[in-house]
Amino acid sequence: MQTFEKLAQVSRTLQNSYIKAWKDQGKKVVGYVCTYMPEEILHAADILPFRITGRGVSDTSKADSCLSRVNCSFVRCCLELGMDGEYDFLDGAAWVNGCDHIRRGYDNWKAKAPLPFMYILPVPHKIFPEGRQWYKEEVIKLKEAVENHFGVKIRSDKLAESAAIYNESRRLLKRLYDLRASDETPVTGAEAHVILSAGVTMPKTEFNKLLGDFLKEVEKRPKTSNTKIRLLVAGSMMDDPEFIQNVEELGAIVVTDALCFGARGFWDLTDEKGDIFENLIDRYFNHMPCPRMAGEYSKRLGFIKDQIKRANVKGAILQHIRSCDLHGTDNALIRPDLEKAGVPTIELERQYGPMADAGRIRTRVQAFLERIGG
Amino acid sequence: MGEERRNVLESIVETFNMTSNLPENLDLKDPEMKALLDSLTESRRNNFIAMVKDPDVRKMSNVSNAATGKYLDLIYHARDYGKKVAYIPFNASPEIFHAMDIVPAGVEVLDTFAAIMQEDFNEYLDLSVERGLPDTMCSAQRGVLGLLEAGLLDKPDILVNGALGGCDANSKIFEYMAEKFDIPIVYLDVPFYHDERSIDYYTNGYRQLVKALEELSGNTLDEDRLRDVCELSNQATELFMEIDEMKRHVPNPVPNYYNLNHLSQKLTLVGTSDAVEFYKTALDICKRRLKEGAHVFPEERIRFMMMYTGFYFDQSVYFWFQEEMGVTYLLDLLVAHDFCPIIDTTNVDTMLAGLAQGMLNLPMTRQLKGTWDMPANWLYDLLHYVETYKADCLVFSGHTACKQAWGIYRLVAEEIKNQLGVPSLRLEGDGWDSRITPISVIKEQLSEFFETLY
Repeated sequence: MQTFEKLAQVSRTLQNSYIKAWKDQGKKVVGYVCTYMPEEILHAADILPFRITGRGVSDTSKADSCLSRVNCSFVRCCLELGMDGEYDFLDGAAWVNGCDHIRRGYDNWKAKAPLPFMYILPVPHKIFPEGRQWYKEEVIKLKEAVENHFGVKIRSDKLAESAAIYNESRRLLKRLYDLRASDETPVTGAEAHVILSAGVTMPKTEFNKLLGDFLKEVEKRPKTSNTKIRLLVAGSMMDDPEFIQNVEELGAIVVTDALCFGARGFWDLTDEKGDIFENLIDRYFNHMPCPRMAGEYSKRLGFIKDQIKRANVKGAILQHIRSCDLHGTDNALIRPDLEKAGVPTIELERQYGPMADAGRIRTRVQAFLERIGG
Repeated sequence: MGEERRNVLESIVETFNMTSNLPENLDLKDPEMKALLDSLTESRRNNFIAMVKDPDVRKMSNVSNAATGKYLDLIYHARDYGKKVAYIPFNASPEIFHAMDIVPAGVEVLDTFAAIMQEDFNEYLDLSVERGLPDTMCSAQRGVLGLLEAGLLDKPDILVNGALGGCDANSKIFEYMAEKFDIPIVYLDVPFYHDERSIDYYTNGYRQLVKALEELSGNTLDEDRLRDVCELSNQATELFMEIDEMKRHVPNPVPNYYNLNHLSQKLTLVGTSDAVEFYKTALDICKRRLKEGAHVFPEERIRFMMMYTGFYFDQSVYFWFQEEMGVTYLLDLLVAHDFCPIIDTTNVDTMLAGLAQGMLNLPMTRQLKGTWDMPANWLYDLLHYVETYKADCLVFSGHTACKQAWGIYRLVAEEIKNQLGVPSLRLEGDGWDSRITPISVIKEQLSEFFETLY
């Protein structure tokens, strides 16, 4: 089996073969939902961090009875899977108060389908010294909660090992993004999304090995035509490669992103020298901020512009899941700023889920590509 | 100052001034008055009647309207007086701004006045969306944003965002205004919990807010002036607490419409002598009503509470409940302040700590942060208010933008039913946008609900 196919299988299956093998060793798996969760805390406890997804849901009637139509469809899909028992393989879930929707997703999951370990990590909404201190104290509380619940001790040397493994993963992903940024990229955006998806649902060491192999294999691939329109995708949570594929089928290629599931989530490394716990706090608290972090708009815009430049992007898709006030509002600011900078930009409101709104999205993207191409 | 801008703000000030001296013997059947009422649209007529028909309501509204008219006039003329204007959310204490001689313009309060008094208010809700904002953002601020977009309101000098962690929609719209109109903004982070550590964190944030306001306005915080404001605020708190005590009485003597006057006073004018005068007037009226055994007509059949926000675009509900339905409108969460502290005026530190604590206990900040089942949260407070004020039922307005409240409505409603046996009704309306569910439909839905309770 080709390396990519192995990664694709992981991406396609909720309880993939790596998780089964992990659990067969008597080891634990804990879900998480946000890039403000320092995964290394779990990893250093020999717990597999698993990024919770809502993929594979065709109906959200159970979740809708708890949440509502004004709540994010990503959160409703995740809750549906939780209430359906699809996440029973998780030994716990560590949430973050990332946004109002995900916070209420946690409330309902905890009330209606609790896992043995349910935790929420409160992250401040402002980057300032007192906020960092608060975050640090909260991560200490998380660490203690994990230690107490799972009967483990999270040592500094293990944290340092985990930080190195995670950094290695980020460096490999950056190499992948370098390839994507090249003039005739050998990797489609949909493939990159499959890889990202696998990377957050399987053991990191094995993912790093597979990704390293993939990068070697891909160098032998034929290059993608450079006639395709090079796009960036930014905005709300997006872990569904099908969305990207839907766009790429129209004659475009997604060469980079500014998604929490993608570049925004992995771009920053942890300093491996010195006090590793403090370094992890710095890395996670100060990483490229989500729109939940107030007063950081110019930093987010700067990151998008940097990605556009390094990947020679010709157009930007700013998508947000309906009712996502954080990204919807940011997108409303970003679009005119990018247009002013000469980057054609489209805003798309969508519902989460593979191929949800596919026809409407295709029509709008097609018109957008005609605008860029024409 | 553009011609159109004068039309908007001046007309609102004018309306308040006109309704601040209503005669005791006002006769709504008088031909001249009838002609005036007939000339109004249904919604504006409803609002006017709700405010004037009952002599007690009219009397307290006179005082409230005079103070509000003066306050709005101050916003309108702030620059002429050399004062800075700060747009603040409803969950920011106005006292610190009064103390620093900065004019606090409560965005949601302005939005509400515009919703009631501007015939074409919905056009400004829509304009904010036409200019880029998602339509899922909150109508409690979108009207003001639309008025800014249209140039019908002047840009404020300062924005203060106090909703971080309580409501994404509220906090993002302030950031949006800051970026779009290039207005300096100060962010106050709301802690997740409600314990001592959180209060310290928030108080520290409040000190930083004062420092930022000093830098942005050029004004300094004078201890004596702050003490004056805090003492006035404490007086107001003691007075409205006494009125709240009376609401516990069965039947409740406090007129339903008091809640609306209280809303505008508490969110904008506490810390001023005008607010104290209003609360004194309201207290006197309520005391007399208690003595006389006054209550809703024909008798108090239902004691009603909104679970969170109410309907503000058409205020006839208050009148309809009081005059026709026998329903006491005890409170919605925006007027519920049982946990408002008395400020220790010993020194600047104690006063800032008291103000910060007050702000942490303001509606939404207090109840909608954190998780649903934490102490001092939505469920906790609703259990307290239902028990304390002997509510018979709860209604969730279903305000479209309140995603964080929608997300736990069912959990909270079920728990209240389980613990206290009090039923809830979930509507799908909007507090400021009349088009989501018209008031006539809301009344029908409420009537049907009440039938199940009699």
